[in-house]
Amino acid sequence: MSGPPSARILVPVGESITLRNTVAYAVREAATRAEAEGAATVHFAYPVTGRVADQAGLEEPRALLERVEVWARDDLGDEADASNVAFETAVRAADEYLFSPADYARTLNEYAEEQGLDRVIIDPEYTPAGSAPMVQPLEYELERSGLTVEEAPVERPTRRARLVRGGGLAKFASVFGASYLFYLAIGGFAGTFDFVTGAFSAAVTAALLSQISLSDAPDTRTPVRLLRFLVYAPFLLWEIAKANVTMAYVVLHPSLPIDPKIERFEAAVWGDLPVMTLANSITLTPGTLTVDVIDREFHVHSLTRSSREDLLAGALERAVRFVYYGRDAMAIASPEERRAEVDDE
Amino acid sequence: MTPVEIAIVALAAGGVFFAVVAAVGVLRLPDLYTRSHAASKSDTLGAVLTLGAAALAFGTDVPTAKTVLLLLFMFLTNPTAAHAISRAAYDQGIEPWTTEEEGKP
Repeated sequence: MSGPPSARILVPVGESITLRNTVAYAVREAATRAEAEGAATVHFAYPVTGRVADQAGLEEPRALLERVEVWARDDLGDEADASNVAFETAVRAADEYLFSPADYARTLNEYAEEQGLDRVIIDPEYTPAGSAPMVQPLEYELERSGLTVEEAPVERPTRRARLVRGGGLAKFASVFGASYLFYLAIGGFAGTFDFVTGAFSAAVTAALLSQISLSDAPDTRTPVRLLRFLVYAPFLLWEIAKANVTMAYVVLHPSLPIDPKIERFEAAVWGDLPVMTLANSITLTPGTLTVDVIDREFHVHSLTRSSREDLLAGALERAVRFVYYGRDAMAIASPEERRAEVDDE
Repeated sequence: MTPVEIAIVALAAGGVFFAVVAAVGVLRLPDLYTRSHAASKSDTLGAVLTLGAAALAFGTDVPTAKTVLLLLFMFLTNPTAAHAISRAAYDQGIEPWTTEEEGKP
């Protein structure tokens, strides 16, 4: 890097534990530069991960950016050259899906070009795409396009090594075990050759993919969840079979008694895996089809009135909660009851 | 016929039945969303029953394990594909067909 750091700063924003301190650092840097050059600008840009279908989806990014701006103004209050530092906030890429670090880099780069920014301060815990590590590839991509990139030197509440995150060994062991079993099952448990090559392949797979394919390390709850899942699977199969008969009746009935409608509700499950399980279960039980999930809001297309009633009665949702959170969580009210509560208020 | 053979025939017949239901559903139902109901689910059950019959026919052998894995992947991928298609339609703003608009068929 040659010359003094630029006074035109871009900070990518996303929910993270160190966002507050990153904002503070960016503001401090901007104030220092403002002292030297007379003026400084900090742009806070929020690249939205998924496509946002409507205005409601933008509320969360907007709220976060508002909070960031309040923090920034607050921090600036202590500095001498407060009037020379300007702040901008922007929500970007609301009309497209961002997947890879390259996508984020492109979005940020376009924004930087548009606004004439040439210095990027990155929150070291910036992980907009969920659990996948993002900062290092993002830095690389941004630097390739000629921006000056630095990580905000903020203290992190949990110190952890860059590549081997928490539960590295447990993750490795579970991915290794799963791939080894899969390899042997496909090969038919046939002899020493398979056992050796299988172990080798599974080790390579686990070494490469264990950090990516599992977001959370398996812990003591995992075996319990697996056991509960074994209880859940027959229940789901039974639901599938039962509802398929209804489906056959509806489809083969001469007057085609359908009443399709899209239903929205907030599901009382939390986290990627439970939401995925519930969404897939809903799709598998005939009469209902998960069209879209935005955070916890399910958009479900239902074919008949009775399937809609079944869905809102929440038997599936309750079962998924049982799998992930145990018997106590089954007591949570069904979507219908929750909706009635909201209406009462 | 042994009980196992009866079970195989029953499963295969069930599979064919639900596959036919899926095909009829795709032809009869009015729009993309309702059709993907038929295509994704009756079809899943049809394929699963047929695979179940195949697994039984193989007996306790390696192909059975593979068939069971196939079953598992069917359950994972079919809803995902249906979801991807219907979400693409939803994002494009295709309105679902309802009885209010056009009256009962």
